[in-house]
Formats: sequence, structure tokens, C-alpha cells
Amino acid sequence: MKKQSMWSLRLSTAALVLIPVAVGVNYIGKLIAAFLKLPLWLDSIGTVLAAMLGGPIVGALAGAINNIIYGFTDPISFVYAITSVAIGLAVGILFFKGYISSWGKAIVAGLIIGLVATVVSTPLNIGFWGGQTGNVWGDALFAFILAKTDSTWLASLLDELVVDVPDKLLVVLISFGIFKGLPRNVAQLYNNNGKIETLD
Amino acid sequence: MKSISLYVERDSFIHDVDPITKLLYILFALLIPIILPTFTISFFCLGISILLLIVAKVIRKTVPVFSFVFLVLITVVIIQGLFKPENETVLFQIGPVAMYKEGLLYALTITLRVTNIVSSFLILVLTTKPSDLVETLVRKGMSPRIGYVIVSVFQIIPEMMSSMGTIMDAQRARGMETEGNLFVRVKAFVPLLGPVILGALINTKERAMALEVRGFNSRTPKTYLYEEKKYTHSKLIQSAMLFLVVGAVAWRIFV
Repeated sequence: MKKQSMWSLRLSTAALVLIPVAVGVNYIGKLIAAFLKLPLWLDSIGTVLAAMLGGPIVGALAGAINNIIYGFTDPISFVYAITSVAIGLAVGILFFKGYISSWGKAIVAGLIIGLVATVVSTPLNIGFWGGQTGNVWGDALFAFILAKTDSTWLASLLDELVVDVPDKLLVVLISFGIFKGLPRNVAQLYNNNGKIETLD
Repeated sequence: MKSISLYVERDSFIHDVDPITKLLYILFALLIPIILPTFTISFFCLGISILLLIVAKVIRKTVPVFSFVFLVLITVVIIQGLFKPENETVLFQIGPVAMYKEGLLYALTITLRVTNIVSSFLILVLTTKPSDLVETLVRKGMSPRIGYVIVSVFQIIPEMMSSMGTIMDAQRARGMETEGNLFVRVKAFVPLLGPVILGALINTKERAMALEVRGFNSRTPKTYLYEEKKYTHSKLIQSAMLFLVVGAVAWRIFV
């Protein structure tokens, strides 16, 4: 069974229907986090899962479509579509290279993805909000550092860092846990190697 | 089942404008303040967007979105007014706290930029049915497969929300705690989310089969269920916007 490249653009139907589910999972994750009054967003579990199941292209598409759809309820998220795409790509690449295969590795991968999200979001935050994130704790830190060091970039980077890294770490761990718990026949469905296309 | 889109059905001139023109309007509202970065122009653009929202009879629906945006913007005003590195001129003093002119002007720039972008997006979002937008884009050449993916999100999310309600009740009936300290609440997250995800993923198998049986992957050109909608004045509005952008560039260069 020859494995197709993870960059294959020929998406199977199963991979395509995975995308709306990923967007739905993101939405539900955010709702539950809000319901349980958790201090994090946890709104990218679907994107991460889609990238694990379907590869970087599916992950990136899920991220982009996710933020476009969110844009219909909250126009600001259009701007952050780039961050979601980066998350989808990063998870897909790490996972298919085998860097998310145990809990220990998943923690490292979570930190890396948190950093990726931070680096992509910071310029957007600066361009759009003057550097803030809209999260109370992060913005308090932003104000503190801005008052101490006179550097908007540093303040904004740290503002995003303290919010994004724990969030993405937890998201990757939760997604990895769920992924491991999936029945094999479900996980196999999206494996992009021509043989499954028959959908027995 | 509650729809997640903000679209409001009204009978207005704006609702009859085609979605592509509204997309171009967002671009227009983004470009003009970049080409001519003055407060007057920004206020003017914002004014046009708000006027259009009023004409579309949807201004009331913008309140929740704007109130969320303003909540963040208030912190922007406070933080920039107090701490912006370039702050020099004290504008006024409240007790021991001084607000600076440079920071407040910068905060005003951000406020105008954000409200401008949000209001131009709201025109599209509040007056266009998502499925109409997707259909127009597919007619213009977007892949119908991607079109399907976008439209089906609007169908899947309400389904998943109702299954989440069921699961939440079931887990609570089994004694799961959803209130208490942070650890208890974090622990409740996975038992709530896990079954929703699993159910949804298993459903995708059926959905994929149903689609393939109906020729989802067939390469013949797709036909449409609905007749193409007739939109009015598209050409006129689009050329007017193009004219204004060109005019703004010329103004920037020559004046």
C-alpha cells in the first residue's frame, strides 16, 4: 500500500465532508469552553483533528473555512483566517512526519503550534487592534509591558504568547486524546491512500 | 433549529444588490482609508456603511456585534491613552492618572479602522443569505465541491448543537459536575465534547457515501436547482466604486 503524499490536492469525498465537521467541532468546543467558564478559547480542536486525520491541506482548508464561516457571526474573525490556516498546516505536517505520536511528543508539538499561532497573530493584532488580543489577562500584561518597556511589538508578542500557547497546548492534547480514542475504521476513512476511496 | 448566520430577511434595496458587489464594497471600504489616511475620509466611509445598514433596515441587528467590538475598543482607548510609548502631551488628568493626546489619537485611528471594517462586513453578512453568496461564487467559477462544504457547515452546526444538548443532559444525569473549581470544569470538557465529535465523524461516513452515490465526484458540469437570481445595478455600483478608488489614488498623488 503506497502512501500518497500528504500534500495531495486530490481530496477524497470523505476528506471533504470532514471539513464541515471540523468547523462544527471548533464551534462546539468554543461553546462548551464558554459554558464551563474556562479561561481559554479551545476553538481550534476541529482544525487540529482535521489536520491529524486528513493532512495539512485538509487542516488548512478547515481553518480557512472555519474563520470565513465565523465571519458570518462575528466579522473580526475573517482577519484571523491566516492564523487558522497556519495552525492547520503546522499540525498536519508535524503529525504526518510522526512528531505527534505519543503524549510526550504531543506536548512539544502543542508548544510549537502555540508559537506558530503567536507569530502569525501578532502582526495581525498590531495592524488591527494596535497590539491587543481582547483577552483580559493577556491585555493586562500588554498594558504592563507597554508601560515598562516602550515596545509595542514585545508587549503584543507576550500578550498573544500567554494566551495562545496554553490554549494551543491544551487543544493539541485534547485532540490527540480524542484521535487515539477513535475507532480504527473511522480514522482509516480519511487516510488519503486511494484504496479507501471505495467506502465499503 | 436556530440558524447560526446573522442574515435577516428584509425587503430593501440593499438586499437586491448582488453578493459580489457587496464583497467588492468591503474591499472598497478597506482601500479608501488606506489610500487617503485622514480622519475625515474614515468618518465618511463609516458614515456611508452605517447609512447603508439603515437603508437595509438591519441597523438594530448590528447592536450585539458592535457592543462586543466596543468592549474591546474601550480597553484599547484606555491602554493606548495611558501607556503608548510616544505619549508626550497630557490631554487631561483624572486624579493621579494622565491621559495623553498621542495615545488617544492613535486609539481613535484604531477605533475608526475597526468599526469601518466591521460595518462593511456587516452589510454583506446581514443582507446576504450564505447560500446565495456561495451560489453566486460557484457561478463565477468557484469549485462546487468547496461550495458544498461551506453550505453544509450551516446545516451541520445546528445538528451538532442539538446532539450536544442531548449529551450534556445524559452526562449530567450520570452525575457529571459542570460547576466548581477550574479542575472540575476542565475535567468535564472531554466527556462533553468527545461523544459529539465521535458521532459527527461516524456520520461523515454515511454522508460521504450518500454524496458519492449522487455523483458528487462526477466531472460533468453541475446544474443548479434554482434559476439565476436577477440583481439590479451591479455594473453601475461596481464602476462607481472603481471610479472613486481611481479618483482617490489620483488625489493622493497629485494634491
